[in-house]
Amino acid sequence: MFRTKFTKTNFYRNLVIFLALLGPGIITGSVDNDAGGITTYSVAGAIYGYRMIWTLIPSLIVLLVVQEMNARMGIVTGKGLSDLIRENAGFKITFFIFVGLFLSNIGNTTTELAGVAGSMEIFGVSKYISVPIVTFFVWILVVKGTYMIAERIFLIFSASLLTYVVSALMAKPQWREIGSAIIRPGIEMNTQSITMIIALVGTTIAPWMQFYMQSSVIEKGLKMKDYKFTLIDIVVGCLVTVVVAFFIMVACGATLHPGGIMINEAKDAALSLKPLAGELASHVFAFGLFVASVFSATILPLATSYYICEAFGFESGIDKDWNEAREFYGLYTFILVISAIIILLPHAPLIAISIWSQVLNGILLPVVLVSMILLINNRKLMGDYTNKPFQNVIGWGAVGMLVILSLALIILPVLSR
Amino acid sequence: MTSLTTFYLSGIIGKEVFGADGDAIGVIKDLLISAVPSGLNDPNQQLVIGMKLKIGKELKHYSFKTFRVVKAREMLSVTCTDLIELSSDEVNNGLELVENILDKQIVDLNGRKLVRVNDVRLATLMTGTFVVAVDIGIEGLLRRIGVSIPIKKFLSLFRINIPAKFILWDDVQAFDFSNLNIRLSKSYAKLHTLHPSDLADILEDLGKKSRASVFSALDEEKAADVLEELEPQTQIHIIESLPLDKVADVLEKMPADEVADILDEIEDERVELLLREMDSESSQEVRELLEYPNNTAGSLMTTDVLSFKAGRTVDEVINELRIKKPEQSELYSLFVTEENDELAGTFTLRDLVVSKPMTGIIEIMKSEPVFLYDDQKVDDIAEIISKYNLLAIPVVDRENLLQGMVVVDDVVEDLMNKRRTNKR
Repeated sequence: MFRTKFTKTNFYRNLVIFLALLGPGIITGSVDNDAGGITTYSVAGAIYGYRMIWTLIPSLIVLLVVQEMNARMGIVTGKGLSDLIRENAGFKITFFIFVGLFLSNIGNTTTELAGVAGSMEIFGVSKYISVPIVTFFVWILVVKGTYMIAERIFLIFSASLLTYVVSALMAKPQWREIGSAIIRPGIEMNTQSITMIIALVGTTIAPWMQFYMQSSVIEKGLKMKDYKFTLIDIVVGCLVTVVVAFFIMVACGATLHPGGIMINEAKDAALSLKPLAGELASHVFAFGLFVASVFSATILPLATSYYICEAFGFESGIDKDWNEAREFYGLYTFILVISAIIILLPHAPLIAISIWSQVLNGILLPVVLVSMILLINNRKLMGDYTNKPFQNVIGWGAVGMLVILSLALIILPVLSR
Repeated sequence: MTSLTTFYLSGIIGKEVFGADGDAIGVIKDLLISAVPSGLNDPNQQLVIGMKLKIGKELKHYSFKTFRVVKAREMLSVTCTDLIELSSDEVNNGLELVENILDKQIVDLNGRKLVRVNDVRLATLMTGTFVVAVDIGIEGLLRRIGVSIPIKKFLSLFRINIPAKFILWDDVQAFDFSNLNIRLSKSYAKLHTLHPSDLADILEDLGKKSRASVFSALDEEKAADVLEELEPQTQIHIIESLPLDKVADVLEKMPADEVADILDEIEDERVELLLREMDSESSQEVRELLEYPNNTAGSLMTTDVLSFKAGRTVDEVINELRIKKPEQSELYSLFVTEENDELAGTFTLRDLVVSKPMTGIIEIMKSEPVFLYDDQKVDDIAEIISKYNLLAIPVVDRENLLQGMVVVDDVVEDLMNKRRTNKR
């Protein structure tokens, strides 16, 4: 009863309806464009120009198929992905996946805080001030349990990521070249470019997203009759991710690559906009980066500790207090604090941490995907909603490609010696 | 020979079984116990009766009687004198530990919450091998990846203990029977001993299939109590996934205002089907409540009220209450009505108790009570309730006929929902 709670102003009500419509797919897609992603896309654009843009197309297809599988599994079983993996794959595989997820997400969280530090430095705030404050803010947000409303606010602000579209257009990119680079993709067979491809795929289809996606589907209480809307939601979410990634790569490819300017952080990309589009654009870009970073710095450690606790059978959830769910809050605090410490160390190898945590994602991804495909084809779990043949083909194809790329990454340095 | 050997399930799975002549026979895949844990105190249901072996490429169940588990210097070895295959009946009536218990969620009936099984502890006595407890602690996890002993030794240098956490088998309630044909009501027997709110918490944490199957195993009274306690989203899921007649039976046992609240969230078609399935008296009350728009007194009120004529005596009223045995909340306020149901006054249980038996109700009742109209918007109902120190406010229609009452419990619940929504 009392469902018409928001009658104060029309604006407020419309806002609430709008937020209610935001589905798991769109939220996951927005979280996906985090500081790590922005950094990786910018660096790829600066080094390779338009030559890496083609990776977004296979990424989009795999992303769509994977997220659809997540949604379907969540709707049918009502169980989280880590639950399902633990129950069906045994403890050893679970352990491997979650240790990997734990390490890569410490790296990812570090990258998010680097995004905070970098973007605030553009506004002239030292990282020794911004990082501790943001870390504390994020920590208290979750421990005090006001995280749900924060998620929505973040999401609105992350619309500022669309400024990348503007900045890309202002950079006057050579569309003909972009077109031909997409149509005739080329892979250079060397460690650097393969590392970059894995990092790009790993950041676009981050393994933790699959866990996050499935949980949000369950939390929304979606049912099979909502499936059509869920599908639209997923498509929009994936498109948001890929479109923003595309324009970041175009912007950096058009401005930084021809001049041979090497960048190391997303901050550098923001700075490089200044001479081209003026200080305002640079500031808006930096603001977008800041919001995206804080958003992901909240969600990543939270999600990670949530799935680890779920898989290992510890009490978890932000509705529990510290004493009830000690492991959960302990893990959450640990990930945040350790990431903040890494950032504040002088001469911390931030770029290496950022790229290698994306690579770790890329290596972890096939393991998670294999588990997912096996689970979703399990009739005992899924009943009539197992995969169709084409979904299996794309799923296994993606796994195959990722494994080949990962192997190439290991073998190439040996061969070139 | 020791009379008692204890070992862990994780220590025995994947081990090779050796025959009397010392040759390897096959690899252990699973252990079969005689019955599903029901929380009932029955030592026989803990007995290990079978062993699933992989011999060559074949998986088969064999009787455990011919097997022996021996522990010598911390090393487990399993020997077998003879292979006796179990009939499919015996296998179907039993429960496989790896398949149904290990890594699964179970209810800890003692701690009243869901936990995940990291390992299972077994013991061999003279009379057979029994399941003793399930391990839900960190030590069990470490054991699974084979680093429990070195880590324990390392930590003992610093005098740190890894606490072991066990749940006795008697307190275990398993759920994951997806591949078994088990009579559920029997196997969930001990769940009935849990408080409805604890059961509701557990149901909310379960997967969809287990949730529906556990819920349908509850008797109607218990099911109604649990359904009331569930979050709206889980309520909807249960109502939509269970057969109509079962849901209707449960809803009949619930107060009409709660039912109306739930049905408000469900598709109209299904609501209609459900209302038709319910007995006409209950469904009529619900229908009336459903017609009130949200945020009106009518939508919040309960129609379960007790009203009496002014000419009755205290003694008569008390006797009637003894016969009716109304729920606690129905007694929050008692009403006096005219012949045509028009509200004339209110009185309380206290008024009855402190008055002499032959006193007339008309002498103890408070006339001109505070009331709400059923179509009145009630944003400030909490203030009215607290201002007049009421447990319940009568609700009347525009002709002053008594329709029901709004009780303080529902007001508090509504306030809390509002606060939660604002917080998010």
